[in-house]
Amino acid sequence: MEQTKSGHPAPPPGGEVDPALLEILVCPLTKGPLRYDRARGELVSERAGLAYPIRDGIPIMLPDEARKLD
Amino acid sequence: MRQAYRRWAGVYDEVFGAVSRAGRLRAVAAVNAMPGTRVLEVGVGTGLALPHYAPEKRVVGIDLSREMLSRARARVAERRLGNVAGLVEGDAECMGFADGSFDIAVAMFTATVVPDARRLYREMRRVVRPGGELLFVNHFAAEGGLRWWAERTLAPLSRVLGWHPDFTLGDLLENPAAATEITPCPPFGLFTLVRVPNRPAGG
Repeated sequence: MEQTKSGHPAPPPGGEVDPALLEILVCPLTKGPLRYDRARGELVSERAGLAYPIRDGIPIMLPDEARKLD
Repeated sequence: MRQAYRRWAGVYDEVFGAVSRAGRLRAVAAVNAMPGTRVLEVGVGTGLALPHYAPEKRVVGIDLSREMLSRARARVAERRLGNVAGLVEGDAECMGFADGSFDIAVAMFTATVVPDARRLYREMRRVVRPGGELLFVNHFAAEGGLRWWAERTLAPLSRVLGWHPDFTLGDLLENPAAATEITPCPPFGLFTLVRVPNRPAGG
């Protein structure tokens, strides 16, 4: 994992999300599981073909705001 | 709705905060008195209620307004609200939470601003475990008396904040008899606290 000068892991681009919150998040469309892509700061729904962004530690669970997967 | 909130985000706390304070405090007190620690606040807005939850309650807030959520986020940081597990930008009628994720879901002043209140209710039932609790604080249409007068007086404010003056309990609950507790809140009983147990089927 990437390290900062202080030795702590570098914060992900979208900001930190509480692990307890990550655990209960699902795709709002399929209600299926999400994969947390920490490096990109995204929550990926393979089934919906969407990646939901995280901004300032706030997951944006809106299909209209999600990135379409290729 | 998002547009309306964007426009009003600046004065929202001052105007809406004062009018809605009693109802909000009563709802949070009811949440704090309930068993279970996993709480979802639907329509968390600028997080006016967040500092009032008991420390043992783990609160997640959802809202559609990015502007409001950024204010809520600042409030959480400023007040060091360690029991706020997270904020989510999302649609209350179609939430990205797994079934049964919460013990309690509370929606304050939210049922009248979503396009379909019954869909909101069904979605809240889904994300709360069977046997959990749903709480609503809202303005429900009055039939007469002091409340009717207050509603008429505050009608311009209602329009600004996106209330529906003729919203009834039946617009929210398919079966209004499912509510086990209906408590009027000050001022003038303008807002009502409604408690609905999340029974496994029906309701």
